[in-house]
Amino acid sequence: MGIVREKDMNWKNLWPLLHKEVILELRQRYALSGIVLHVVSMVFVVYVASVKPSPPVWNTLFWLIVLFASINAVVKSFIRESGARQLYYYQVVDPATLLLAKMIYNALLLMVLGGLALVAFSLVSNSPVQRWPLFIGVLALGSASFSVAFTFISAIAAKADQSATLVAILSFPVVLPILLTLLRLSVASFAPSTLSGGIWPDVRNLLAVDAILVALVFVLFPYIWRD
Amino acid sequence: MWWKLTSVILLLYTILAGFLVPLKSGIERVEPNTARTGEQVTVRFYGYNTFFSRPSEVPIRVWLYYNSSYALMADVVRPINDTILEATFRMPINLPEGKPFVLLNALADHPTEGASILPIAFTLHQTPGSTQIPLDSAWTARPVEKLHPQKGFSFPYQNILYETIRNTYFHVPMWFVLLFLFAASVWYSLKYLRHPETEYDRRAAAYAEVGILFGLMGLASGMVWATYTWGKPWSNDIKQLMTAVALLIYFAYFVLRGSFSDPEKSARLAAVYNVFAFASLIPLLYILPRMFDSLHPGATGNPAFGSQDLDNTMRAVFYPAVVGWTLLGFWIADLRIRFQRLKDRTLGLD
Repeated sequence: MGIVREKDMNWKNLWPLLHKEVILELRQRYALSGIVLHVVSMVFVVYVASVKPSPPVWNTLFWLIVLFASINAVVKSFIRESGARQLYYYQVVDPATLLLAKMIYNALLLMVLGGLALVAFSLVSNSPVQRWPLFIGVLALGSASFSVAFTFISAIAAKADQSATLVAILSFPVVLPILLTLLRLSVASFAPSTLSGGIWPDVRNLLAVDAILVALVFVLFPYIWRD
Repeated sequence: MWWKLTSVILLLYTILAGFLVPLKSGIERVEPNTARTGEQVTVRFYGYNTFFSRPSEVPIRVWLYYNSSYALMADVVRPINDTILEATFRMPINLPEGKPFVLLNALADHPTEGASILPIAFTLHQTPGSTQIPLDSAWTARPVEKLHPQKGFSFPYQNILYETIRNTYFHVPMWFVLLFLFAASVWYSLKYLRHPETEYDRRAAAYAEVGILFGLMGLASGMVWATYTWGKPWSNDIKQLMTAVALLIYFAYFVLRGSFSDPEKSARLAAVYNVFAFASLIPLLYILPRMFDSLHPGATGNPAFGSQDLDNTMRAVFYPAVVGWTLLGFWIADLRIRFQRLKDRTLGLD
């Protein structure tokens, strides 16, 4: 190949890559505003359709909005840059660093989107959330988990043609355990106080699933990246 | 060749033994199933596979018992036919441990055919106003003792399950085979990622395909079983849902395989997804179902799949069944692989 490739991750490259993602996002502003509009319109649909959702329905609707907004936000991760530029990255950075930068960036993006969805959805419907710190914590954890799963799946799907459909199909089973755990955790934040020991098994499960995913993703990503 | 023959022999044995070995005798229900203290009651025992009227030197003994220390023996026992028996009890004047009511287990012991039990068959209520102390001596006068074992090779009799217990040899091995096949598929996917050879990809795909087949068979046999034990084929039980999702993962695997025109790319990305999907099956099948209530054995509050559910006679059929079905699964996959290999060679892909 003639290119000296470092085996270890190069942390020095992480910051420029992250910076590049933000620049790209701001440059292609239509993508970002598209997703924001997507969130807002879904919230509006819910508002028009049901006047007062009960707490379990509120919970389900909220996480569905977040889930589909997340898929749409992450799906473009690997397709928005041209093949030539991908080849350039391939030569200058290590795949793990590139993936980590994309995952961190997507996690932040999803947190912002989740926060936006939460604000918009709470405005149009009475939110049953009573313990806001817990709920926001769950949302942050959820965004990070979604980011790991969707970033990786979108890397696979980017190699195929109909990537948006593929991401939904491929990630659904992988994300389901995460989503179910998140739903249970957010129900815990609807009561003014529950036993604090009650949520930890779920949090632990979620972190365990995330740990498995992260480990796998870093092992497998180089095989996708190489073309 | 030898393993194909083993598979056939083991499966024939499974089918013959699984369907022909009788169930142990048991008690289906008792009537009436409730009484008050101090009454004289004649209770009808309805047996299953029992031989109440078969002659014997010693008469049949019948108890309603609370636990190992408190038991009521019937004064008069009159077999009507092989499966119906009438037993007359003089109920004691009070209940052990000062309880308002107790749930009693029914037990009939035939000297040559052995003992059969129905747990929690009878409710005995305290008549209001009767004295609690001292405890009626009827509770301890004739304890449950010298029971006769049931002889012969037979499967356990369990309420609710009855004859469907035989499905253990057909439903449960499907999951074993499914996991073995998916594991084999992942193994070949990993091999493909290390050394990209078409043969490995072919094997990974074939094992996944046959794994799906066994998953569908497991789901179908489980639904048939659920119709008779849970009341309906699909009750949105978490185990059923998780199984459906696990199959969706592998359907997605085949959708992914089909969405590339370049076979090398398709094989590589499918291998990556296969490894990823198999790892996410573990939380799906083992962690999540434990978080939700389930009717399925092995879940919260249900007996696990262990020594209680599987006695020695069942083990003698179950383990050969698992081996037989596993070999059959790999046999089908082997045929798929050979067929695909010929097809690829004809098309000049390999």
